Amino acid sequence: MTESTISKSYKRNEDPRLLTGNGNYIDDIEIPGMLHVAIKRSDYAHAKINKIDTEEAKKMPGVVAVYTAEDLGDYWRPGPLQVPPPTVIKGSIFHARPLECIAKNKIRFSGEPVAVVVAESRYIAEDALDYIYLDIEPLEYVGDLEKSLDPGAPLIHEDLESNLSADVRQEVGSWEKAVAEADLVVKKRIVTKHVAGGAIENRGIVIQWDDSFKVLNVWATTQGPVPMRNSIAKYLGLMENQVRVMNPDIGGGFGPKIMSSQIDDVVIPWIAMKLKKPIKWVEDRRENFLGTTSERDQVHYAEIALKKDGTILGVKDEFYHNTGAYNPYGMTVPLNTQTHVISNYNIPNYFTRIIMVFTNQMVVTPVRGAGRSHGIFVMERLLDAAAKELGMDPIEIRRKNILPPESMPFRTGVIGQDFVESVLDSGDYPGALEKTLEAIEYEKFKKEIQPKLRAEGKHKGIGVIMFTEGTAVGPYEGAKVMVGVTGKVNVVCAYSNQGQGHYTTFAQVAANQLGVDIKDIEVVIGDTGQWQWGVGAFASRGMTLVGTAIHNAAVKVREKALNLASKILETPKEELELADGVVRIADLPEKFISLGELAMRANPTRGTVEEGMEPGLEAASYYGPPHGATGYGCLGLILDVDPETAKVKIERLVIADDCGTNINPMIVDGQIHGGLQMGIGEAFYENLVYDDYGQLVTASFMDYLFPQATDMPAKFEIKHIVTPSPLNPLGIKGIGEAGAICVPACFMQALEDAFEGMDLDITDSFMSPGKLYHYVQKAKGA
Amino acid sequence: MKIEGTHVFNGPREDVWDMFYDPNVLASALPGAQKMEMVKEDEYKFDMNVRVGPVSGAFTGEMQLENVVKPDSLTLKGGGKGAPGFLNGIGNVKFKEQEDNTTLMEYEGEVNIGGALASVGQRMIDSVAKSMIRTGFETLDKALAARLAAKETGAEAVEFKAPTEAQFAKEVAKDMVKMENWSAETKLVLYIVPVIAVIILLAFILKSCGA
Repeated sequence: MTESTISKSYKRNEDPRLLTGNGNYIDDIEIPGMLHVAIKRSDYAHAKINKIDTEEAKKMPGVVAVYTAEDLGDYWRPGPLQVPPPTVIKGSIFHARPLECIAKNKIRFSGEPVAVVVAESRYIAEDALDYIYLDIEPLEYVGDLEKSLDPGAPLIHEDLESNLSADVRQEVGSWEKAVAEADLVVKKRIVTKHVAGGAIENRGIVIQWDDSFKVLNVWATTQGPVPMRNSIAKYLGLMENQVRVMNPDIGGGFGPKIMSSQIDDVVIPWIAMKLKKPIKWVEDRRENFLGTTSERDQVHYAEIALKKDGTILGVKDEFYHNTGAYNPYGMTVPLNTQTHVISNYNIPNYFTRIIMVFTNQMVVTPVRGAGRSHGIFVMERLLDAAAKELGMDPIEIRRKNILPPESMPFRTGVIGQDFVESVLDSGDYPGALEKTLEAIEYEKFKKEIQPKLRAEGKHKGIGVIMFTEGTAVGPYEGAKVMVGVTGKVNVVCAYSNQGQGHYTTFAQVAANQLGVDIKDIEVVIGDTGQWQWGVGAFASRGMTLVGTAIHNAAVKVREKALNLASKILETPKEELELADGVVRIADLPEKFISLGELAMRANPTRGTVEEGMEPGLEAASYYGPPHGATGYGCLGLILDVDPETAKVKIERLVIADDCGTNINPMIVDGQIHGGLQMGIGEAFYENLVYDDYGQLVTASFMDYLFPQATDMPAKFEIKHIVTPSPLNPLGIKGIGEAGAICVPACFMQALEDAFEGMDLDITDSFMSPGKLYHYVQKAKGA
Repeated sequence: MKIEGTHVFNGPREDVWDMFYDPNVLASALPGAQKMEMVKEDEYKFDMNVRVGPVSGAFTGEMQLENVVKPDSLTLKGGGKGAPGFLNGIGNVKFKEQEDNTTLMEYEGEVNIGGALASVGQRMIDSVAKSMIRTGFETLDKALAARLAAKETGAEAVEFKAPTEAQFAKEVAKDMVKMENWSAETKLVLYIVPVIAVIILLAFILKSCGA
């Protein structure tokens, strides 16, 4: 019997290559005669452009060309909306203002591109930027989410009546009814803060126009090669097969690399075709901070209605969402917030409203978490506030309202980022809570350890919160599986890999059907020349969607191999098995035919074939779920806080998580580790800060602080729960964002617990040591 | 951002005001100043080099003086831009005679800094600006002392030594170390005061060039 390759921690196929320095990243690509681009970006956050003078820059030796929006002529136009608005939600307003990839009449954020220099080297191109002169009229900066809608606020898009970008309301049950029946309504103003994706490798693109074959070769760090290919083809009037978008190795994505129709993939291909020269652009770190997308900026006015015993009757959440200067990514982020506010608990009445506003800040698109962490933060903070008002233990109020396993699948009634109702497909939510409480020894800590520490004047606090992780949304992904004449297997897709381990996990899925060693499976990811269809790497959907498509394709290839072998071996296929790279008679293993030989025979070169025959040991498949698969979990933290220095040490971190079947448990753990590090960063280290004039004052790693290895707890204690998703044959749910979305809510609960009696009342998702110090001082004074 | 600050000059108001109109004194008090010219009455253009940590480059700017009430007060508006970014500001300066024959200079205003100067230089700008203002005032204090001494002896020549670029760099380094222990509020004030002061000093130089 063939051994299963699923749920095994294989070491990663790609690691020997990457760890020995043999990866091929965007900046490693060199083409003879290649020119280099540097982008002139606006220092001003909001201004009218009178004139951009590029004459002096053009005269510099080594400068080949300089382009502004004016120079692009008719080619200049605002990009397409990468994500359309949710028309399915009745009464919603959405003012589409897609990205203007290079500013023409107006500058709307500091860092917005205004000109492109093409030169013989990057050094020359960078120097030439200093000789481009902007004649502009500065306009008043709009940065405050709430004030952006004040009458008389300067307009970011003058053709609109206000800076309102979207207004979307959803209601399940009746909030008014909940209030009427409630014993208590708790209100909070809750703020979530702006963080960066901060991938170790910035964005980049290399373009080569092959004028003889009329093909545009594009190497790009994009998370969505097919949408980028389609955008480029449409802009340039080319057929899809004339544009080949390829991912080199990519050093992290975390969301912002999903964006296409930006200056790099709109303007640089146009220049490359015009000059008939290969061109490279690699973003520098400051550009990445200023001009690449980011998110998490929301202001919530949230209310929770309860009975005296802690039963939730309803939740109301009206929130401002900062979309930045444009809204090319539709409403993905705030819709995720709407679905994630209520998703762990039984909340019969829910009113939620997104007020999305334009500001003079960088464009907002998802960063690992994409609205989920904000929703979780709001709900968990409301529960903590309600527990305090009711004199309940924070765990008790959660136990009281948590969705029981028998309620699954649970229809939430709220439309999510995939424009269908969010459905919690499976899981044991109370199980995750209890498992975490047990592992972190909650009772013991509260009843025995903490009182002793308090008596000694020490400030250690515990936090335990629940989260769901909406993952694996549609619309679809596809893949092709092919056995080659050598017997090795090719898995091809146009997804995108930024370090998730797909070269291993996708191979595991194919190997499981084909009986070959996972090292004999070559996975091609992100090459539109080899595979034409797909959407991209976002919403923790790769393993579930591409994995399922690979599984389905591999099942078809297996059938093809069995049918062909059955004829050749003159044995019924039920008596055959695939193992060790051959198809053999199960009871007579010495009688076999290799997969390579079968592949050769699957492409007959003479004679005739049966009607309907499809050549090759090859099959393609597509998979699109009816709705996303929802992972969930519970996080527990014990924090040791020094009240004098406000330094925080994470003494313990326990996370229980259910992402369905773990294809490779080691890689699942890695995703959780990386996510938690981002979550810890969001809670205590990382914050993008604009000053009062729209200048980003944290545009380097000196001022934008990443947590380091030494800031991590000694151990991430991970408790797995496996409830296979009923939505797909392998039972997979996503795991990419779990760790990144749960930390701030738990961190703040634990901080409050560390200073119990002081009433810190933290309603902000970011707490630096400096801020914590002020909170403690303020609480002491109160 | 609102700003305010004071400096006490050890001399009478008339002498302080006059000193500010000596372009030789003021140019030497300003590290990085290259060139200034009067466009018209109370309106000037200047070139200067700015270096804040990793951010450096040439600045060109303009400045206007308004509400000039000699030797009491003036308002200045100005701004500059260059490769490292831009800077705009408005400031009000007052000179007050004090009983002990010293002069209190009071300044308050608002400054807006943009570009790489703000986004990358942020961490260093406090220290650099603080050093600029401190060394600037130190130079002016010495210059004033020299002028007063010369006045007393009736000598014409005024001798004083302006800090070199190397001395200035050393001062910046010293200040950056000291800054570690300062409160956020102190840093905030220091961040703006020097910038305004630089503009003020430039304005005076220009004014005096014109006169």
